[in-house]
Amino acid sequence: MTKIQEDIEKLKKLRAEVRLGGGKDKIELQHSKGKLTARERIELLFDKNTFKEIYTFARHQCRDFGMDKYRPYGDAVITGFGEINGRICYAYATDFTVMGGSYGKTTAEKICDVYRRAREVGVPVIALIDSVGARIQEGGEKVPQIFYENTLCSGVIPQITAIMGPCAGVSVYSPAITDFVIMVDKTATMHITGPRVIEVATGEKVSEQELGGADVHSRISGVADFVVKNDKECIELIRKLLSYLPSNWKEKPPRVETDDDPMRMDEKLNSIVPDDPKKPFDMYEIINRVVDKGSFLEVKKNFAPNIITGFARLNGETVGIVANQPKWLAGCLDINASEKAARFVRFCDCFNIPIITFSNSPGYLPGVDQEHQGIIRRGAKLLFAYSEATVPKITVLVRASYGGAAAAMANKWLGTDIVLAWPSAEMTVMGAKEAVSVLYYKEIQKIEDPNEKRKFIEEKAREFEEKFSNPYHLAERMAIDEIIIPSETRPWLIHCLKMLRNKDVKHPKGKHRNIPL
Amino acid sequence: MATNVTAPIPGKILAVKVEPGKQVKKGDLLITLEAMKMENYIEAPVDGVVKDVKVKPGDTVKAGDILVIIE
Repeated sequence: MTKIQEDIEKLKKLRAEVRLGGGKDKIELQHSKGKLTARERIELLFDKNTFKEIYTFARHQCRDFGMDKYRPYGDAVITGFGEINGRICYAYATDFTVMGGSYGKTTAEKICDVYRRAREVGVPVIALIDSVGARIQEGGEKVPQIFYENTLCSGVIPQITAIMGPCAGVSVYSPAITDFVIMVDKTATMHITGPRVIEVATGEKVSEQELGGADVHSRISGVADFVVKNDKECIELIRKLLSYLPSNWKEKPPRVETDDDPMRMDEKLNSIVPDDPKKPFDMYEIINRVVDKGSFLEVKKNFAPNIITGFARLNGETVGIVANQPKWLAGCLDINASEKAARFVRFCDCFNIPIITFSNSPGYLPGVDQEHQGIIRRGAKLLFAYSEATVPKITVLVRASYGGAAAAMANKWLGTDIVLAWPSAEMTVMGAKEAVSVLYYKEIQKIEDPNEKRKFIEEKAREFEEKFSNPYHLAERMAIDEIIIPSETRPWLIHCLKMLRNKDVKHPKGKHRNIPL
Repeated sequence: MATNVTAPIPGKILAVKVEPGKQVKKGDLLITLEAMKMENYIEAPVDGVVKDVKVKPGDTVKAGDILVIIE
């Protein structure tokens, strides 16, 4: 054997060793928990044979606590790039079989490098996390730089993080800064302080899953954007989500061929909104009948269900959908709904995704609780996000839009390009009875007989409704662009998007705007 | 284990569709609550048996008030 042949054999042997991560036993243990290994995940994520690993042989330089005796190649993380549906992406996967996937200085350096490189070439980064957190022996050195790199990538390239095991301590802040967090049900957990620390500090007893499982973070905290059943589903979702997104802020999202007719008119749309204004209806039905068949991908489904956010396609082009859901809290805007929608609108604006809003909300949720928790400053985020967005913005007024909700989601005055109203649409400062009780306060006080009083209020409310409970008073003042038949919504939206394709609106320059956080 | 079904929003009870002892499935209609000029349908969050109904039609409730207890 020549020297070069020997060297090649050595490299092959080392590669095989690296492929085993923490060894066969650790891999078996990983599988027994229902999890794939970091390497299996990476292989599933990328198109076959396209993944190119870099820094495979990087190792930690720690000499303390006996660490010099165990210096595995890769330092508990796999980093590299490859193709996903033919498009280049960077990715990293922490390897739980090696030192629990912990972050040492070298691990962090590899990850930071992934983000820096991806930013420079304008491609997305996918993070697959399964890690106990910062490596104690190395004192968490360099780890915070990951957050710095995440921040510099924000709005430049899409960043997706999948939590596929534990994600604990300060390292939770990297996912939190990225654009989307996906959690695998039952195996993923995220928390800053774990159950043991909480018990010591406060005496509270709580399980890992109760504290920071996928259910909690998707429903209550709003940290997770998606929940998936298992690792395989997680990887499939990442690939699907990427198909809606451009690779960076300078590009438009890729167009996908569709066999759904852009001129399709769905007659069923004409009968979804019930005659009785008190009866709710299902906003999902409207969305799904308007967009390209089967294209709706919901984001933050379980959090603040009173507002719906997600990606869809119209004639093959990606759009962001924001819609009030009258089936939940009457479609009110509350703090959670405002923050959820505001963040989604800002993401769409970062990445050239037009925003379609289906507006149908009775207003901001009244209550001491909401006011004291800051519905003023937190609800303001939604108006801010809409105003700030320069991508094409189209609103469909479905039925009721009252008060603050009309101000936030239904009008032309926040720079909306087109407002289309269904014949069922109405937009007022408040509902008829509430309006009458303010407008005719003095007159109502003077009437003593309760029957007379009720009759007076009802009569004035009817007058108010006749005046405002239709879209014609809006059309008269050019507060909306057009009144359309619901079945015409799809072709109208597609034509408007085509018209707005080269929209070029620039706001005054500044360092950055100051969203009320 | 008992599950408290609470009012998600302040409003007025329009209709109560269950009584103690009734078997319910997740998604069954329990209560119709009028709030923000709309009917809100409060559904069973779990399968179980209704242990107690805390409200009757015409009652006004605050957000967080217990409406039904399911066991």
